[in-house]
Amino acid sequence: MPHALSYMLEYLIFFVFATIAVVFALMVVLHRNPVIGALSLVVAFFALAVMYVLLEAPFLAALQVIVYAGAIMVLFLFVIMLLNLQHRTEEATRPVQQFLGFTTSAAFLISLVYYIGKYAVFGKLPDGRFASDARTIGIRLFEAYVFPFEMVSILLLAAIVGALLLSSRGAATRAEIPTEVSE
Amino acid sequence: MAFDATDVVLSLIKIVIVLVMMLQVTPIMVWVERRGSALIQDRPGPNRIGPFGLLQSLIDALKFILKEDIIPTGAHKWLYTLAPVFGLVPALTTIAVVPWGRPFRIPQRISDGGALTSVGWTIAGLCILGAFLAGGATARYSRKPAHSKFNTVIGWLVVAALAGIAFLIGAALLALHAAGTVRVPAGGRWFEPIVADVNVGILVIFALASLGVYGIVSAGWASNNKYSLFGGIRASAQMISYELSLTLAAVSALLVAGSLRLSDVVWRQTGYFVLFDTIRIPAWNVFSPAMWLSFIIFSVSAFAETNRLPFDFAEAEAELVAGYHTEYSSMKFALFFMSEYMAMATMSALITTLFLGGWDIPWYNEPATFGGFLLSALAFTAKVAFLLFIFVWVRWTIPRLKYDILMRIGWKFFLPLALVNVVVVAFFIAKHWI
Repeated sequence: MPHALSYMLEYLIFFVFATIAVVFALMVVLHRNPVIGALSLVVAFFALAVMYVLLEAPFLAALQVIVYAGAIMVLFLFVIMLLNLQHRTEEATRPVQQFLGFTTSAAFLISLVYYIGKYAVFGKLPDGRFASDARTIGIRLFEAYVFPFEMVSILLLAAIVGALLLSSRGAATRAEIPTEVSE
Repeated sequence: MAFDATDVVLSLIKIVIVLVMMLQVTPIMVWVERRGSALIQDRPGPNRIGPFGLLQSLIDALKFILKEDIIPTGAHKWLYTLAPVFGLVPALTTIAVVPWGRPFRIPQRISDGGALTSVGWTIAGLCILGAFLAGGATARYSRKPAHSKFNTVIGWLVVAALAGIAFLIGAALLALHAAGTVRVPAGGRWFEPIVADVNVGILVIFALASLGVYGIVSAGWASNNKYSLFGGIRASAQMISYELSLTLAAVSALLVAGSLRLSDVVWRQTGYFVLFDTIRIPAWNVFSPAMWLSFIIFSVSAFAETNRLPFDFAEAEAELVAGYHTEYSSMKFALFFMSEYMAMATMSALITTLFLGGWDIPWYNEPATFGGFLLSALAFTAKVAFLLFIFVWVRWTIPRLKYDILMRIGWKFFLPLALVNVVVVAFFIAKHWI
């Protein structure tokens, strides 16, 4: 009996949070207000983290919330609020952007359907315990996947340097004009 | 994950205990804050309702409930209503992964001579004694010419409540006695005083704590008020900045314990450092010189993360009226208040767990019984209460910094220092010096 109960609870939690994830993901795309969109994305991320917990990967779930919901989306929201983008609909100025957007999402959808079909519907899921604790993940990262790991860190460093360069170019031109009134 | 009915009941008991503790933090801390500020500023503070003004918070809560709940015309209604909840839920749930007492073994039979019943009778006796004392005081007070009807009524209510509690406990104990013994199914089992002992404990705390900022940000935006918006923007920038140094400072304590599980971190601190073969110092992280830097960084960042003075730029009443909650009134405002104090309590519990030995009592080996659990839980509460008092003390002693100084400290001072500290501590551990 208790086993059946725990399965039932698991299904209940899954369907509740799957619904939340889908509904709020749709909100992100369809809502006109960018702030509401960003907050909906946070809710969708949180629902995804619950999925990870159900898959017995609590480490991944915690990282999902810390990195995406806790850090990246706060920055997004910060920028949106700073720019005060409210109810603004812009005309599509470059049709090529629209074309690229639709093509990429179509390609992503097709590959998603293909892989889900390949592994979840027709094929068999890899059997065996999923390494989910911090120790195992750390050892794997620094032994088997050390090269991609370091590549990602160099990529991030390049992004930081790029951001600094872009912002300092503005500062250099601004420095020539005296902005503050001296006493 | 198999579990039986006893597990569910034990979990429910733990959840109820933690929730009640967290919910009563706010009224107590409001009282401590107001009396503490009065003490520091040499004035009496609230002293009208109840002895030492103890019931002031109760009346404040009543006032909050009775006030008109206003939603400004230009506000985003949904978000404006939801924002206090966004703030409250993380503050209320984060404590779930913090251990608050020594695990003990529930014996197979709880007989009427057990520790539980003696503690129960003691509490009931204390309640009866308190009821008599409060009754006598109230009767004397009500005969005075200058007495207020209100205080008299409150006095009698206190008497009634104490007597009721004593009656309930007594009835429960008598029922237990009549039933003979209570049998715990499937032999004795361990009672772990922690709601969720997950193996990624500290990450859960940081994940939920980082969600707390959305309450403030969405409140600031949804109010449609310039001051509120500024408060929200400041809060988001501040919390992102200090999250980094907070996490990196915690890493060193986790490195020493070799685990992300907070109960392991506490167990690691239950031993002793022995100096010159004679002096025994509790092996709390705060007593280890390698941890001092991370302890300081963590504590200061905790002030910034909870938006407390000297870092309360999200409300900064001198510049932003009241910051993100300028437009809020009634119970919605009270919810922000509650989440602030709960976040403070969680941070104090975290500092206690990571650096002050958690539930460990210095120079005492807690037995794995109910008594040992009670003592260790009391020690944990005492440490958290002390840290909470420090929060109040600092608030009324140190003035608010400037915003650019806050950012400079966070990014140019604490972050590099915390990074270097992690490397140094890791080196020490690799060399087996700690």
